[in-house]
Amino acid sequence: MDLFLQTLVNGILIGGILICLTIGFQLTFGVLHVIDFAVGGWTMLGGYTAYWLVTLAGIDPFISIFLVFALFLLIGRGLGPLIYHVRTSRYARPDLMALAFTFGIFLFMRGGALWLWSYNSRSVDSVLSGQFLSLGPVTIPLMRLSAFLLAMLFSLGLFILLYRSRFGMAVRALAQNHDHAGLMGVDVKRVSAWVYGIYTALTASAGVLIATIYSVNPSVGIRYTLFAFFVAVLAGLGSVGGVLVAGLALGLLEAYVATYIGARYSLLIVFGTLYLVLLVAPKGVLGRGI
Amino acid sequence: MNHKFSRRKFLRNSLLGTGAMTLGFPALNVNAKEHKIRVGVVTSLSGANRFGGNLTRRGYDLWAEEINKLGGIEIEGKRYPVEMFYGDAQSRPASGADAAERLIIQDEVDVLFGPYTSGVTLAVQPISQKYRVPMISGSAESPNVWLAKPAFNFGMIPAVDLTTDKSMVVLAENLGDRAKTASVIGVDEPFSKETAEGFRKGVEESGLDLLSYELFPANSDLSAIVSKLKSSNPDIVAVGGHEDIFINFVSTAKALNYKPKALIMHYGVTSAAFINETGPESNGILGVSVWTEGLPYKDELFGTASDYSELSFSRWGTRPDYTEAACSASGLVLQDAARRLGKAPPWDQGTRAELAKAIEDTDIETFYGPVGFAKEGSHYHNNTKPVPAVVQIKSGDVVPVAPENASKGELVYPIPGTS
Repeated sequence: MDLFLQTLVNGILIGGILICLTIGFQLTFGVLHVIDFAVGGWTMLGGYTAYWLVTLAGIDPFISIFLVFALFLLIGRGLGPLIYHVRTSRYARPDLMALAFTFGIFLFMRGGALWLWSYNSRSVDSVLSGQFLSLGPVTIPLMRLSAFLLAMLFSLGLFILLYRSRFGMAVRALAQNHDHAGLMGVDVKRVSAWVYGIYTALTASAGVLIATIYSVNPSVGIRYTLFAFFVAVLAGLGSVGGVLVAGLALGLLEAYVATYIGARYSLLIVFGTLYLVLLVAPKGVLGRGI
Repeated sequence: MNHKFSRRKFLRNSLLGTGAMTLGFPALNVNAKEHKIRVGVVTSLSGANRFGGNLTRRGYDLWAEEINKLGGIEIEGKRYPVEMFYGDAQSRPASGADAAERLIIQDEVDVLFGPYTSGVTLAVQPISQKYRVPMISGSAESPNVWLAKPAFNFGMIPAVDLTTDKSMVVLAENLGDRAKTASVIGVDEPFSKETAEGFRKGVEESGLDLLSYELFPANSDLSAIVSKLKSSNPDIVAVGGHEDIFINFVSTAKALNYKPKALIMHYGVTSAAFINETGPESNGILGVSVWTEGLPYKDELFGTASDYSELSFSRWGTRPDYTEAACSASGLVLQDAARRLGKAPPWDQGTRAELAKAIEDTDIETFYGPVGFAKEGSHYHNNTKPVPAVVQIKSGDVVPVAPENASKGELVYPIPGTS
């Protein structure tokens, strides 16, 4: 029973990490209709930035996460118009061109990380690293709990932004129809650029927590890109709400399979289940977008 | 006398001069080659494995520098300097094979020194076989390299399944009655799986009770695995994987309030990067190393293992690890084989085949340890002689703790703060 409860906690906390990773990705797909291959790259760069801030300036990740958020908001905002330009290109299949474009960005990030930080794994220390909370037989790692809480905070903040602000209204209008939103006076290009900025900021912030929980090296990007894709597909591409359900479901499934069936089969069963769900509900768990 | 410059005379003289040079150059070239042994190094000088690739280069270069200080390799009383040529494998097997072919055809090397990773080695060894150029590999550790029974390739580091197997036996013998159970986990990928398999074999050979053996995908979150280990709490936990998995295991275990009584991993734990990244948590962790500077081995060129370490430190500014040591010892193997071959370079294809036979018959003691290549079985042409040392991290230092002849300190068991 103790192991069962611990597995429950482990699963929920893994879910938190998956939600953190995917929430911004969903937003950018919902609004820009871009499948951003660089999602793992932003995660990796967020982790490395936190690594630099903690080693060079001694800034704890729980403070540097705000700096990382602000920095990547600006970077994403700067890159946003380019993504928008590629996505709305008059040439054939701009959706595929955007995918290829973000893949190029991802490769650039990976090469840059190799050059700057070499191949070795780096861990990011925080005041909460290795700290835990014991509740009877269950141990709750505080870093993972923080990531989970942050995922909830991200989701809440995003919902407030989307449903309680004029900017959010413009974002939702864009998600529904770019042309109509433009005709109603929404500055499509500008809002799209800010959405991309919010996405990179959220994903890089998730990277700070992920690097603190695990470690970061230039090859982790592809791993997180895959995870973000799978959570997003299960959630229903573009559905921010669905990410919460899908992230938790995948986290719990992975934890229980690894504990009671065998870790070797965890990803096989998780992704097998994902394909089955998609056969039954191809629009994702909530069946709708933003 | 007419000293007038004539175009016809100029052209005739130029033609004669060029002809003489063209005819004379090969003779000069052959003459130059006669006095040197041309060694080609295929390794990853760029790409993801460039760090390890450069370690191999350092090891090979250090040997070349030292032997050239003496005038070169001694054959039949005469010394032949060594000339090094480099081919960048770019961390890709196919590029490694191309680089090897270039070294053999364009640079006309007499012998190859092998790549950093087993993957590149597997791609390069058919090339060495095709052109019958002996290759001494200072770094390949996967048993798959030797399963192919390469006629011209020789591996200095015992395959990972041998080292992990032997190290677990050594550890169990040292712990005696204090350890009765063990669990083995590993990443489900070729190298890590072979490491884990070796640990499992060692557990069975040493009579320990194997509580669990589990492989997991490289991308797994380790919390479930650590929770299970915490629940069963074996006396020894062995992990097969690479450095990032080790770091993740240590941090996940710490976050879940679990500290195994003994945690043994593989070579990566002895690297400065691992110790830096895990900080005080690395204290007490056990690793496996086929070579450390504290081992009681020596030879004529480098002196003792400790002398080699000092020499390498003064040359490169960092302490050598087992990879650098094995690569430098590759040169000692070539030296010994060339001396026994007794034929002056350059070596034609037939002579190179004789050289390969001489390398196969190697039986020497070096600062790196004993070298002798298996002539049959699943580890064909792998140096199976070294007995790995079990090392333990103590306050950031890597200290050999077993077997007895290599020990420089007490094995701390259980690790303080154990669950």
